[in-house]
Amino acid sequence: MEDVIIVRSLMKSYGTKKAVNNLSFSVKKGEIFGIIGPNGAGKTTTIEIMEGLRKKDSGEVSILGMNPEKDRKVLNHRIGVQFQATSIQKKMKVKEALKLFAAIYNKENTSDEMLKLLGLEEKMDTYFDDLSGGQKQRLTLALATLHEPEIIFLDEPSMGLDPHARREMWNIIRSLRDNGTTIVVTTHYMEEAEKLCDRVAMIYNGELRALDEPSRLVEDISAHFISFRSPDFPVAQLHQMSGVIKVEHDEELDAFKLYTENLQSCSYLLFKIAQEENYHISDYKFERGTLDDLFVHYLQGGASA
Amino acid sequence: MTALWQLTLLETKMFFRDKLQVFWTFLFPVLMIWLFGSMFENQAPEGFSFASLYIPSWIGVNIVTTAFFTLGTVLTGYRETGVLRRYQSTPLAPWKILFAHTIQGTVIFCFSAVVLVVFGTLMFDLHAPVYLGSTLVALLLSILAFFPFALFLTSLAKNVGTAAAISSLFLNLMLFLSGATFPLEMMPDVLQYIAKILPLYYVIELLRATWNTSPLWENWTPVLVLSCIALVSIVLSSVFFKWSGKAD
Repeated sequence: MEDVIIVRSLMKSYGTKKAVNNLSFSVKKGEIFGIIGPNGAGKTTTIEIMEGLRKKDSGEVSILGMNPEKDRKVLNHRIGVQFQATSIQKKMKVKEALKLFAAIYNKENTSDEMLKLLGLEEKMDTYFDDLSGGQKQRLTLALATLHEPEIIFLDEPSMGLDPHARREMWNIIRSLRDNGTTIVVTTHYMEEAEKLCDRVAMIYNGELRALDEPSRLVEDISAHFISFRSPDFPVAQLHQMSGVIKVEHDEELDAFKLYTENLQSCSYLLFKIAQEENYHISDYKFERGTLDDLFVHYLQGGASA
Repeated sequence: MTALWQLTLLETKMFFRDKLQVFWTFLFPVLMIWLFGSMFENQAPEGFSFASLYIPSWIGVNIVTTAFFTLGTVLTGYRETGVLRRYQSTPLAPWKILFAHTIQGTVIFCFSAVVLVVFGTLMFDLHAPVYLGSTLVALLLSILAFFPFALFLTSLAKNVGTAAAISSLFLNLMLFLSGATFPLEMMPDVLQYIAKILPLYYVIELLRATWNTSPLWENWTPVLVLSCIALVSIVLSSVFFKWSGKAD
């Protein structure tokens, strides 16, 4: 697949703070590409530079073979943008917003198919201000996509949505991808990155920390562990067990996390000791690492996996 | 339909959906005229009627209100809430946005002027402008001076609150010091000089003159002053046009 977005050695500073520091990645046609990281990691700055709304300090950015700073007028016809925590005029009705944006893009009108997909048919006469959070996001998504752009940029599309609305949003985004659109999405919800994105770039302090398919990123980390609760198991004894890499203990909850290379033999040892010493064990589970763990891992250690 | 026309139409519709805006723009001036009229109706200088002096004044004041509140403050709000930023990622050119709002403001101002004239005619026997053509050109000139002036000043504000504060300051200052509400002759000399720094003073001079006594070409001072303000503020407002309050 061809690369529709190429970012190389991108740098951007605000005063002395480096918001984006030597960032490089590329996005293939027709994929959902996630940019994940904590608040303030540089996600929005990166996406706004790609949209041509911010000027980069140095580096190279190519969108559909064009330079977003210089060719923004042409690119604006071919990309769609949904902003973070978006707003349109409060007293504008849904149908009026759709009509206005259709006129801006010289389109006849929004397709009924799109409206059905977004579930906005019954809200056509409602003011933007009176829509729910999910409906607002769906409307601004409709405005970003009604000209059938080749690339859609979504900045935190599911911010403030309830779990149901979030899932609906994911389905809409997936169906856009299935129609051949390339989607770049930023998020700080790891679940969103895992379930929605084909590939994710994890950035922290403006630097790229990891870039791969979500499932591979998770596999890469040694975040496989056993979790259990025990009021009386001595922490020191856990550290001495063979095969244990790391022990985390939450004293308030009496909860333990046991990181190990071999879950099975470690479990056997754990229960054997408990049985012999008459320790009590409850809530025992095998756990697989999630992107969340990976995230925390980077936040704490900063080392690369 | 073109985007420019669509945007103008929508913004005009949305203005009328905001009841508070409608009150301040249409009803408040009428109430003030009625109030001042009942106090000063018989104190007009020789040869003038109360209405022929104060209706043109309040039409002038309405240009300021429209410029600062209907245009300036609203656009600052759009800048703050990201409405303009959304346009920035579309093919809609900035001049179209400013133009659409200017037309919208003009339409709303014309409505409010008609309301005032009708009210003045019914209640205070207002006569038609003596130099109608001159009056219309004077109005156009005043709009060209004030709309961009207000757009530029309010664009310096980071949020609606500050923009509204700037707007209120200018409006109140001009309301009381430009002769629109109180006769300047009643005020101390210092204030009379200050009045002449305020752009509204010239709008009111010109409107009162063309309505009652003399055509445009006999009032070159206000014409010149307003033309200069128009020129400078059109340049300033387009050069310093901002899509959002954030730095790029």
